[in-house]
Amino acid sequence: MFLKFFYTLKEIGIPVSPTSFLTLQKALHQGIINNLDDFYTCARSILVKSERYFDLYDQVFAHHFEGVPLPENDGFEVDEIARGMLEEWLKDPKRVADALGVNEDELKKMSPEELIEYFKERLKDQKGEHHGGYKWIGTGGYSPVGHSGYHPGGMRVGGESRNKSAVKVANERRYKDYSTAGPLTQAKIGEALKRMRNMIPAGPKDRINIDDTIRETLRNAGEIELIFDRALKDRLKVILAIDNGGWSMDPYIHVVQTLFDYARSQFKEVKTYFFHNTIYDYLWEDTARYKKPKKIIEFSKLDPETRLVIVGDASMAPYELMAHDGSIHISERSGRPSIDQLQYLAKTFSHCVWLNPVSESMWGYTHSIMTISKIFPMFELSLDGLEKAVTSLMAKS
Amino acid sequence: MQQESKNEFQGAGKYILDQELASIVNISMKLEMPLLLKGEPGTGKTMLAHAIAESLAMPLIILNVKSSMKLIDALYQYDTLTRLNDSRFGDSKRDVSDIDEYIKMGKIGQAFCADRRTVLLIDEIDKADTDFQDDMLDVLDQMQFDIIETDRTIKAKHRPVIIITSNAKKDLSDPFLGRCNFHHIAFPDPKMMRKIINVHFEGIDVKLAENAIDAFYVVREIDSIEKKPATRELINWIRALSADPDFRAKDLITNQLPYLGVLFKKSPDYERVKNIATRRKMF
Repeated sequence: MFLKFFYTLKEIGIPVSPTSFLTLQKALHQGIINNLDDFYTCARSILVKSERYFDLYDQVFAHHFEGVPLPENDGFEVDEIARGMLEEWLKDPKRVADALGVNEDELKKMSPEELIEYFKERLKDQKGEHHGGYKWIGTGGYSPVGHSGYHPGGMRVGGESRNKSAVKVANERRYKDYSTAGPLTQAKIGEALKRMRNMIPAGPKDRINIDDTIRETLRNAGEIELIFDRALKDRLKVILAIDNGGWSMDPYIHVVQTLFDYARSQFKEVKTYFFHNTIYDYLWEDTARYKKPKKIIEFSKLDPETRLVIVGDASMAPYELMAHDGSIHISERSGRPSIDQLQYLAKTFSHCVWLNPVSESMWGYTHSIMTISKIFPMFELSLDGLEKAVTSLMAKS
Repeated sequence: MQQESKNEFQGAGKYILDQELASIVNISMKLEMPLLLKGEPGTGKTMLAHAIAESLAMPLIILNVKSSMKLIDALYQYDTLTRLNDSRFGDSKRDVSDIDEYIKMGKIGQAFCADRRTVLLIDEIDKADTDFQDDMLDVLDQMQFDIIETDRTIKAKHRPVIIITSNAKKDLSDPFLGRCNFHHIAFPDPKMMRKIINVHFEGIDVKLAENAIDAFYVVREIDSIEKKPATRELINWIRALSADPDFRAKDLITNQLPYLGVLFKKSPDYERVKNIATRRKMF
């Protein structure tokens, strides 16, 4: 029973295991589940093991039992943006029409459904033709028609689901804030911090210190005295280098800084540097990239165990990366192309990652992203990407 | 089904139960699977176990997980030190040659040995190492463990109702998740919150409750707050507000919010909210 439902969940990327499916069958056989509402809650608690997938589960459920169409594989994000555009349209049709460059009256003739379809088409077009197509439409909220942010009503709906049908509950998509895809926003900071917590090396005091034990036992006239040590690990040092050059990075700088600010206490030190587009001879300690430069060469003096986290969209003209005089700053003329400097940094710090706010599906379109991702392990600046980045930073080399 | 209804969990005195959660609890009890609860601090994860124990009249055994905890601590303890002392001074009534005399049951052990079905709450499991969770799998699966020193197997007399809570500080391992049912408790909406407040403060001034809850949800929405205030903070805050004789309920709308320190426990958060609150007043 419900095999198709199970496989749809699996296909869409929820890690469901056959064992849990059998458990669900057991529950069905025991007659515990009597109606669709029960099935909704029970199947979720048995099959889905993380609130991150609750949102996807809701969508699949609504699809399977009510025929609500699943968003196409272009992603749930596009769907959401289109809906955001519709809301925007209802408020101020002229602005949306202008932004899309179409006649307002033409759009007015369409029904809401048609409008959504139309917006989606437009979004897809955009993806194909432009490299950072998302920029035009702005997932992060820096475009005229960006998506309206996560449903404010989203996760706050508590109980009383008895008054609504399960499908309706599923359709509300209460768990959107926990969904792991999509760019990092202020609202997700709390979730993101949890991902960062894995960056603490610490263990229980469980190593017996033989030397001290013998010494203390002797001192104690043969009375056995056990001395335990914590496995010796120091707290981490982190260098955070942020591209604060172009407007394309603006929405993320603050998020990333807040994130590391809050996480500061768990590290030994966090140093923040800034750069524009890519790294040449210097990184700057001040946001204006003017007063406090630090030579890249000097970074080799630092502890190689330091974790280097670079945040940037890595999108630039190829010559900026490759040419000897690629830097737009006249003072940076050491003759070493940026790509050499990046390789140098990657060699100095064996634990390094590059976090990129550009959606991973778009990386293939930009030459410089491909090149840089060969030097640094590159991850998306999203909850998922952050999690992978932390794993990569903590991996034993 | 009907005759079983007395064994079903339907909520308890001070706990406002969401129907969805109730059915999950009942399912887990029937499938005899541990129920893993996640959710923001203060959404009542721990309270749920208390409520289940109260409503089903079962004893509650709480295992508070600590970061340095090993599974063995939760199962049993072999008190070598007392035995050593006893053997040296020989003035105790215990039989030194009998190791069993020196085995103390840990919380899981107690739940297994109990004469009736118990509710076992494993609180904040994510604090411990992943080793802890992995080791626990077998124990919960088989409902038995061995005492190595005496080569004895402890088998659960009654499968306890197991509630596990996690604050999601660390991710739990997949095999562990596979053996649990999962539920994420969402933060209560204002309507629900009213009910909760009413249960905790009987006969509270309606105006005060309303304004406090409104203000509470407003400050919760402030951007980039690390630790959002939760139910527990709201209850404490209302307690503080009603204890203050000078306080008027309408102050919450017009004036700066008093006792912000009760709501925000982290100093950057506190500063941030305070700044915003002051600015609001200026306009």
